[in-house]
Amino acid sequence: MEETEKDRNIRILHSGVFTPLRRWATKWSLWPCHFLTSCCGVELAHTGACGYDMERLGTLNMGISRQANFIMVEGTITRKMARALRIVWEQMPDPKFVNVIGACGQRGGIFWNSYNITRPSDIVPVDFFIPGCPITPEGLLRGVRAVQEKIEGRDNTTIRFKHVELPPEEGEQNRAPTTPKIFAPTPLVRVDVPRDVDWAFGNDLVKNLKAQLNGLYTSITITDKNRIAIKTTPENLVETSRKLSDTMGVDHVKSVNVIDVPHERKFMVEYMVSGYTEELMPVILTIFTEIGREAEPEISSLTSLWESANYSERELHDFFGVKFKGNEGMKGKFLLAPDTPDTPLRRDYKLEEEQYTIEEGVPLTSAITPPHYTPPSSSPSYSESELEDLKMPAYEDVLKEAEKNDEFVAFIGPHHSGSGHLRWVMRMKGDIIKEVIPDPGYVHRSMEKIAENRLYIQNVPLTERPNISDPINMNLGYVRAIENALGIEVPERAKYIRTIMAELSRIGAFFYDMGIFPLFMGHSTGFMYSFAIREMVLELMVRMTGSRCTPSFIIPGGIRRDISDDVLDRTRKFTSAIHKRLKKYENIFVYNPVLISRMKEVGVLTREEAIRCGIVGPFLRASGVEYDVRKAEPYEVYDKLDWEATTGDAGDCLGRIFGRLEEMKQSVEIVRQAVDAVQEMPRGGVISEEILGDYKEASGDIRGYLYNVYGDLVLPKGEWTSVTEAARGTVLYSIISDGESNVPYRVRIITPCWMNLRGIIEASKGERVADFWTVYASFGYFPPEADR
Amino acid sequence: MMEMIDTLMETVMSNQVSIPLIEPMLDVLPEIPMLQYMVAFMLWKPLFAILICPGLTVGGLTLLFFPWIERKLCGRAQWRVGPHEIVWWLGGVIQLLADTLRFLFQEVIVHKDAHRPYFLQFPFLSFTIFLLPLLFIPAGTIVAIQTPYAIQIILALVCLFPLFILGLGWASNSRFAYIGTVREAFMYFAYEIPFIIAAIAMIILYGTSDPLLMASRQSIPGIILNPVAALVFFIGAAMATGRMPFEIADSDQELCAGPHVEYSGIAFGLIYVLCYEKAYILSALMTILFLGGGSGPVIAGLGDLSGVLWFVVKTYLVLTTLFMLRAVYPRYRLDQGLKLGWSPMLCLALIGLAISLVVVAVRVI
Ligand code: SF4
Repeated sequence: MEETEKDRNIRILHSGVFTPLRRWATKWSLWPCHFLTSCCGVELAHTGACGYDMERLGTLNMGISRQANFIMVEGTITRKMARALRIVWEQMPDPKFVNVIGACGQRGGIFWNSYNITRPSDIVPVDFFIPGCPITPEGLLRGVRAVQEKIEGRDNTTIRFKHVELPPEEGEQNRAPTTPKIFAPTPLVRVDVPRDVDWAFGNDLVKNLKAQLNGLYTSITITDKNRIAIKTTPENLVETSRKLSDTMGVDHVKSVNVIDVPHERKFMVEYMVSGYTEELMPVILTIFTEIGREAEPEISSLTSLWESANYSERELHDFFGVKFKGNEGMKGKFLLAPDTPDTPLRRDYKLEEEQYTIEEGVPLTSAITPPHYTPPSSSPSYSESELEDLKMPAYEDVLKEAEKNDEFVAFIGPHHSGSGHLRWVMRMKGDIIKEVIPDPGYVHRSMEKIAENRLYIQNVPLTERPNISDPINMNLGYVRAIENALGIEVPERAKYIRTIMAELSRIGAFFYDMGIFPLFMGHSTGFMYSFAIREMVLELMVRMTGSRCTPSFIIPGGIRRDISDDVLDRTRKFTSAIHKRLKKYENIFVYNPVLISRMKEVGVLTREEAIRCGIVGPFLRASGVEYDVRKAEPYEVYDKLDWEATTGDAGDCLGRIFGRLEEMKQSVEIVRQAVDAVQEMPRGGVISEEILGDYKEASGDIRGYLYNVYGDLVLPKGEWTSVTEAARGTVLYSIISDGESNVPYRVRIITPCWMNLRGIIEASKGERVADFWTVYASFGYFPPEADR
Repeated sequence: MMEMIDTLMETVMSNQVSIPLIEPMLDVLPEIPMLQYMVAFMLWKPLFAILICPGLTVGGLTLLFFPWIERKLCGRAQWRVGPHEIVWWLGGVIQLLADTLRFLFQEVIVHKDAHRPYFLQFPFLSFTIFLLPLLFIPAGTIVAIQTPYAIQIILALVCLFPLFILGLGWASNSRFAYIGTVREAFMYFAYEIPFIIAAIAMIILYGTSDPLLMASRQSIPGIILNPVAALVFFIGAAMATGRMPFEIADSDQELCAGPHVEYSGIAFGLIYVLCYEKAYILSALMTILFLGGGSGPVIAGLGDLSGVLWFVVKTYLVLTTLFMLRAVYPRYRLDQGLKLGWSPMLCLALIGLAISLVVVAVRVI
């Protein structure tokens, strides 16, 4: 039998005179190169931090593949990342081992039918799988133990598959409770369904708009409070937008969207724009137009007007093949890998459906084709042609230009000890950065396409996966869009609890970013302290919801179950206990003179630049724009509590960090006040009666009733947009429903990190090379969130 | 022939490490043939210095255990335990042994673009060169080569170190190694001058550059006589060894460890300990210049070993301080590091020099 790649590594350990010594040494010195591929990496960071301390086992995280001998594949491997994984694995010296952690790494997990994922076991030989979504740190440590045992020669922890015959009838009985999906055959898709709302300013605004845009628009409709849809023609799109920008003070794009309507042979292209003037802040104007669904649809780009639309347009070009004339990035692929299916978000690209009954000859899980490289058959070296497919785009023109200008180009990432999982092409002259070109999409898991194929309620877990370091806020946005569409009023107690959880989640995300930031500065103590505090937040999360990072606790109409008093007590205590540790953290890291000198006046974005790049959240506020969704368009109970939005005007890294620190302290305040308020309230009633309908008994605890209550949610026709202030900025969900199907027609998710990407690029221009990491980390960039 | 052996023995016997505690044992020895000679040789001061302290044994143990001490201490400072499971009842003390062996048995990859001969030579070459200064460093009264120019020679050898790092980076022929190497070269110039001036200040202060004499002249330790020079020397040592606020050339997160990004297996293992080796030598130098070398209360029974003991303790003290910087400071940027080296440190070094001159002048008057 031919020796597999996996066996080779074990054989190396078992040959030669020094076998026992070899095995012993390798066992105690497994250095993982941190291949942080997606959200499971958050838990890996916890395993390395002081709570679990992976170093106890001699497992020292090492960023450099040549010196490591162990890969922990953290979750999803996308097609783009698959190449990187293979390359990194090849770079490592023998003997080497691979652990795959997370459900995604095995059969795709929650993304099993995505168009962009692969299975790590197709790419590299895997020694051990650790299940979970995400895995717990305990599980991760057990995985290390399992590999150690395997090295010793004991292989009793590997799962062996057993084949059983399941008779079809029995399968039918054991069927998971579900609701069949209803797809309307010829849905009526409209984004400007009028709605009667009590909104005086809106009526004035519409009048004003009609006067300004005379002759340019087809119709102007109020679709909801603070939402106005402006229909125009493709020819007039640029002119309309210019008018809006010049006369109304509309200065940024919140989202760009394309909707494919094949049966009407058209694409709808919409821009959601707004302005940072006091009146316009909460308002979102949707400018949309329709273009024919030809072979090469075209529309003029608005990038020249609003730079913040740039990356979103490029992304949509990948998704739909719609060409935005005037945007320079329309040549190649941006987010997707070369071998991802073309234009995957068009309706005629169908995803696999799940099967609940077992049928003869139909496999339970679909086959996913790995990228087309051929692993070396018998010889350990590649031929040139085999290598060709492993290569990543090399940006030939950039290289040429750089050579002409006497610049140095470095390709950083996607596997780099300080890059996160995306690639940067950095052009530098001496120690000064000329330009950084981003190459994102290494964690693009096709969230939007999958969401189109699942019931509304099934999308709740999905929407928190982009950012499991801030899950509640991600959920909240999606759920609020649904509640708004259905016109459901959430019970008071649930609102308070949601606020508490959202703020805890914000605190957690802050400490995540502020733990990664010290690492980029080479300051491991800051990382440890920060994660120690984050561990406290997660502890509260576990007690409230039962899950560390992915609770899926917030559902349309309320929360899944009530929170007990002792947990509330604990939360209250947390708000005072955190200060002591925070003080220590601040002393060692935030106020460290070296750090301050590194951050001060570095990566400055002025107010204008910040708005132009379209950055959001605390980073925008650090540049002096007083925009906080919680203040501008209050949701939950933020308007009933006493707190302040933090703004600064320096716009440098120091300002961004201090702003977030201040904001986090405000969050602790909010939690304290909200807990006090909840403790006064009677228990129970955390789900709205309106949504429960006949299932009143479920009101105390939704478990068991979930599918009965939520299986058949159908949203009214139209577009439902919600903006939420997540930890790193505004997250925008825009759900388009046709009013008939019980799955959304299209879901558009714009995450804060995606918007901030442009800011990072802009802020690092002209800085010194080492500053790039300061800037990058000061934005708290979290690639899975950006790539969605 | 016999005469030659006799003269040899005479030289050897005249320069023995005296340890009262084991004297009775030594008295028994002449009855056993050969062993007597072997022990005599072992206790011959120059050989003792090379083989035991500060040479191979203590040096080797430092390389083997000091990283563990560092990781443990950092762990403590960071609210965790550090290496532990490997022999849990000893707190994982042989962690580094496992790491070293693992490196030893691992594949050494030489990539296509590397300059193969240099790529493989440099780690081994630099490892040996880095050991040379140990010949001139006395532990108490024990020294391998005693010369009145010892400090100068040590400094000259220490200044050679960065050249080998540059060699490593150059032979790697990788983008990150290239940037790292250039940074190393920049930093080299930034710390070297203040560092040498600080050492010269002490030579002037003591009026000699023979480490043994220096130790005897430090009735008040140098660090009190000239704290400014001590500070400069310490920061210079931190820069030279690439310790935390100055871990600029091989910054892990920016450049993937700069010059040695491409090394694997035992070649990397050697580079990994190079920095500890360098730190050991600089700490030893600092002990001699500022902390009175091996001087300290004589412990009865240990004889010459008492000096050795004090020397090791002081060196470890400096070493630990140097390494604990990692738990406290993040990293400077290249230009900030350079600025620090070229302006405040240079000024301080000159002030240190002035202080030395004043002290000497006062003493003369
Ligand atoms: S979705 Fe995220 S958390 Fe879940 S298994 Fe995949 S990578 Fe891990």
